Amino acid sequence: MAANMYRVGDCVYFETSSTSPYQIRRIEELNKTASGNVEAKVMCFYRRRDLPNPLIQLADKHQMAQSEDSPVAMKLKKICLKTPIGEEQAAQAVLDPAIVAMEEESSELPGTDGLAPKQRHQAKHRELFLSRHVETLPATHIRGKCSVTLLNETESLLSYLNKDDAFFYCLVFDPSQKTLLADKGEIRVGSRYQTEVTNLLKEGEEDARNSEELETLVWTPEHGLTDRQIDQFLVVSRSVGTFARALDCSSSVKQPSLHMSAAAASRDITLFHAMDTLHKSGYSIETALSSLVPASGPVLCRDEMEEWSASEANLFEEALDKYGKDFVDIRQDFLPWKTLKNLVEYYYMWKTTDRYVQQKRVKAVEAESKLKQVYIPNYNKPNPALITNNNAGTNGKGTVLNGGTNGTAAIAPTVCASCQVTNSSQWYTWGPQHLQYRLCGTCWQYWKKYGGLKTAGVFGESEGEACRGARTGEEGALSASHRPHRCTVLNCAKEFKLRAHLARHVATAHGGCEGARPVMKTRAAFFLRASPFTRLARRLVRALRRPRHHARSPFSPINLHQVKHEFTVAMAGVGGADMRAMGAVAGLAPGSGKVRVRGAVGAVAVRLATAHGSAAPRAQEWLLLTPKDRMPVPEHVAFPKPPKAPDGSLMYERVLSRAEIEARRGETPTLAPVTQALKRRAYDDINGLDRGVSSASAAPPPAKRPNKHPAPMQRPSREQYAAMCARAQATGQPLPAHVFAHVNGKPTSLSGRGGRRHVISWMDAPDDLYYRATETAKAARRALSCGELRRGARAPWRAMRPPAGPPVLPALKGTGNAGANTGTGSAPLQLVILD
Amino acid sequence: MAMQPHSKKRVCYYYDSDIGNYYYGQGHPMKPHRIRMTHNLLLNYGLYRKMEIYRPHKATADEMTKFHSDDYIRFLRSIRPDNMSEYNKQMQRFNVGEDCPVFDGLYEFCQLSAGGSVAAAVKLNKQASEICINWGGGLHHAKKSEASGFCYVNDIVLGILELLKYHQRVLYIDIDVHHGDGVEEAFYTTDRVMTVSFHKYGEYFPGTGDLRDIGAGKGKYYAVNIPLRDGMDDESYESIFVPIISKVMETFQPSAVVLQCGADSLTGDRLGCFNLTVRGHGRCVELVKRFGLPFLLVGGGGYTIRNVSRCWTYETSVALGVEIANELPYNDYFEYFGPDFKLHISPSNMSNQNTTEYLDKIKNRLFENLRMLPHAPGVQVQAIPEDAVNDESEDEDKIDKDERLPQSEKDKRITGDGELSDSEDEGEGGRRDNRSYRAPQRKRPRLDKDNNAKDDVKPEDNKEDVKNVSNLEEPKKEIPPNA
Repeated sequence: MAANMYRVGDCVYFETSSTSPYQIRRIEELNKTASGNVEAKVMCFYRRRDLPNPLIQLADKHQMAQSEDSPVAMKLKKICLKTPIGEEQAAQAVLDPAIVAMEEESSELPGTDGLAPKQRHQAKHRELFLSRHVETLPATHIRGKCSVTLLNETESLLSYLNKDDAFFYCLVFDPSQKTLLADKGEIRVGSRYQTEVTNLLKEGEEDARNSEELETLVWTPEHGLTDRQIDQFLVVSRSVGTFARALDCSSSVKQPSLHMSAAAASRDITLFHAMDTLHKSGYSIETALSSLVPASGPVLCRDEMEEWSASEANLFEEALDKYGKDFVDIRQDFLPWKTLKNLVEYYYMWKTTDRYVQQKRVKAVEAESKLKQVYIPNYNKPNPALITNNNAGTNGKGTVLNGGTNGTAAIAPTVCASCQVTNSSQWYTWGPQHLQYRLCGTCWQYWKKYGGLKTAGVFGESEGEACRGARTGEEGALSASHRPHRCTVLNCAKEFKLRAHLARHVATAHGGCEGARPVMKTRAAFFLRASPFTRLARRLVRALRRPRHHARSPFSPINLHQVKHEFTVAMAGVGGADMRAMGAVAGLAPGSGKVRVRGAVGAVAVRLATAHGSAAPRAQEWLLLTPKDRMPVPEHVAFPKPPKAPDGSLMYERVLSRAEIEARRGETPTLAPVTQALKRRAYDDINGLDRGVSSASAAPPPAKRPNKHPAPMQRPSREQYAAMCARAQATGQPLPAHVFAHVNGKPTSLSGRGGRRHVISWMDAPDDLYYRATETAKAARRALSCGELRRGARAPWRAMRPPAGPPVLPALKGTGNAGANTGTGSAPLQLVILD
Repeated sequence: MAMQPHSKKRVCYYYDSDIGNYYYGQGHPMKPHRIRMTHNLLLNYGLYRKMEIYRPHKATADEMTKFHSDDYIRFLRSIRPDNMSEYNKQMQRFNVGEDCPVFDGLYEFCQLSAGGSVAAAVKLNKQASEICINWGGGLHHAKKSEASGFCYVNDIVLGILELLKYHQRVLYIDIDVHHGDGVEEAFYTTDRVMTVSFHKYGEYFPGTGDLRDIGAGKGKYYAVNIPLRDGMDDESYESIFVPIISKVMETFQPSAVVLQCGADSLTGDRLGCFNLTVRGHGRCVELVKRFGLPFLLVGGGGYTIRNVSRCWTYETSVALGVEIANELPYNDYFEYFGPDFKLHISPSNMSNQNTTEYLDKIKNRLFENLRMLPHAPGVQVQAIPEDAVNDESEDEDKIDKDERLPQSEKDKRITGDGELSDSEDEGEGGRRDNRSYRAPQRKRPRLDKDNNAKDDVKPEDNKEDVKNVSNLEEPKKEIPPNA
């Protein structure tokens, strides 16, 4: 009950649109309209997302300036906040070198220290901007209470995050001027503002002040009279007053009864007079009594209330009705014979009378339209964005994620776009229609209340925002760009406004060179088999236009709904023939398009040289290869040979030194080394190797950089995995399906249309492998055509038989930072793309 | 919890019977009438006869220009509702017009308000009184040459300037719901006046009073601001008021205190947003009074006038150390106090946005600032009311066991220590001069004798009194080393 009672001064959620977040308003007035509805005059708070982008940056800088007391910060404060700043000026302020310098230092809200990135992200949802903008909304749109307080710098933002419906604000936003102001007055310093402080009196110096000039004693408690005596005297003076009224003609008219006279004589003015009399007569009751009844008759003290005649009182009421409490006008037009003081005194006494109470009642009826509080019941109607089971039968409980292993459930799974849960009692559509985002019940509530998603940069938030911006025009276009660059190094996650700053941060703080990507154990392995449609979509859909980018950033989500949408649009009205043609262009259909045979690069070079008529390439000295015996030999081997097993074999396969490679180059390729080289190697075997060595031609690719921030990593032990692989190889099958289908962690979002997705559990994921191509392998690879190679890469389980005798295995390259592995001999190859 | 009579003090009260008749204008929330309502309640409660009642003089322009600029006072003196149009430019310059309207008798009103506070300060200086009350004063927003927030002449600054003649350090405390910006600004750069203001901060008049405003120049750390949020209740208020004021007393060691009792921090105020009751508000008066320093009480804001007069009546009784009935006595304005006609009011059910966590953080920050004050190490803090012996037990009972003890309580537990008092008498500490803290006791033979008489049964307190008596032989006026 109390929760649904909304008072003037409360901060509340207002729902003005079912799809957008609530608006936060403070009730200034509640008025009943003629139709009986209640309208609320409210003051607006703006969310971050409602502000133009330059102002958000300005707000962040203000925060920074507040958190530090450095001179730069003070300067900044002056630049940004002393005067209202238009957007243009704001942009200039951004360019101020001092600010840029500061921005490099840090760009965090104060009090965010020790906040996880997710909390920092959520804290931004709690920031509001006060405005002086007032609007009127129907009170029925109220959707609950919240609290908005001015952020104090002693508070941590965590205290807001821990409370529901708690918001803070620091700045005041002027929506018409597009300016931000600090809600802060200023104590001015200077001789024009401070007082000259009086000096302490010197010894012997007399204060010129004389109390007698400053005050008149009216009463002293040191009078020697008892309380009782004083009370008695007061009674006597009242009796004298009553008698005086009986004698006074005008009074006896006004107060026809004795009671009334006595009441009139008991008013405070008589008592004050009695006290004064006592004081004046030196607290002698006798003297005081005699001065109460001088020769001229008993003393009569009357206040304004009594002094005024009935007609004057009527005039006054009439005037009050007409002019309100403008006593100057009342006096001028109605009661010129009274002084203003008479009027004021009378007015305040008149307020105690019945006449006033009656008037007040009349006024109260008038004022009924102004309400102090209003009861708004909980709003129970379903939001239109709510997905009911009728219109989306596939949603709801029990939806099988990933289509399972049997490949039957090819419908789009429901995943919350914010928290990625798959289980929720309620689902809401969110974002632009065609993207078909879903939000779970909790995230929907969060979105409505706080105007954002729980996690930063999660699946498509920015896209959703961008689309919103595209629709609502200017407003949103500004907001989407405000996404900080976050350091991806484990346990760091600092945010930067500019990519350059991030790069610098990575270089200095993490010692990494360019492109710091998280170096950690991959979570799960899966393989992706693209259907022809998927392949076509890859060519057609704008969102997938940057395959290289996607390959490099396998973590950045691809919005499938959007892909689907675009693809359907692009494919609309395209017939089968066209599609095949497109496929041909895309080089999808196997065997389509002619592969031009150009021969080896060396041959081409020789051909070109002769074509230009120059001398035979042999003639050039510098083109000749250095004889092997004259090749430089390293002075020492940085990594000596590993210890040997009792049987004399190496504990693990050695990395060939340059000399050995050279030596081996001379030998005729045989099968034996190939098979040896094709042995799988665990990722951590090379983990300890120095990259200097690996730069040698046969060295493993620098797939992984050693992790500078080791986090506890879980992976199957070597033995477990070896057993798994051995079993797989023995049966000639890929790793058992249950290994892949068992989903433990959250699913990755990448998935082909209709393609089966195998996700290996995080626990069961095999170690990354790398494939080291030997000379033989490389030679064998060269013998394969480009198309065959590609096909091999896509279907790694298929054995490949090159035309020349021994089975040659293509080296496969995984996308991203994935490793590739191959099987041996005719054993099926297996490509594991690790995300 | 009824207020126990704490101690009987000599109380002087300043009032001019005209003050209630000044009228700011239609719809203006400031109503000087509330002062008259208080006065009538005091009479009918019988408090009137227990105080020295004075009619203050009208402060002269000369007195006002001790703080205010000459042209501003000249302007105030000459402007009237009928000649306003001639002063358009100056009205803008001096911020007179909207919040601070020109009304009939404006200058006289200022004169009476300022006259009361100045006379009260002189009274305290002459040690003719321990507590002075001027409910007509407390107009804490007025600036040197600018009116602000219904205030034209800053009687508080004028009063403090007067006190500074005799007191090396004066403490100003402001419990109005609005920030005491006028007083803070006037003394922003001096270390002789510390201003402590408890106020609602954030989107609220006058906009100043940030926690980080701590004074400037020599006055750095001598401005203390306690920014609060809506809904402060008695308990929260005391939980922040007690530790802050105790700490301030301990570190600043003032020899006189001015308390602005703006009653707009009461629940249900027309302009305020706190949830204090009359008791909680009066508790501040009681707590400050316990320090036993020369004490000037002034009015201030307060826009629900029935509650203002309740509050100031109660606070007068607290100053007097007299218990008064909850039943209001009949008086001319009795009908204003309906429907219950009680002295005390109950808090509303508004929510208190000041969490314990928030208040603790503010408190800690302020403690940090106060630690920056030059502080004579090893100087015993001595907030012993001269009659502390009378109420030792009951005070202890009232204090929450978990709370930090008020200094006065701590000091009561310290038995007289000859060594300590010796070093005090030598007075080598730069911060200590004869006027700080105990000065009034030393200089009041009458009271000391009283104490001696009372303390016969308390041998441990005799040392103190012996010392005080011996101090009486010292010259009456001493110049502190740092004066």
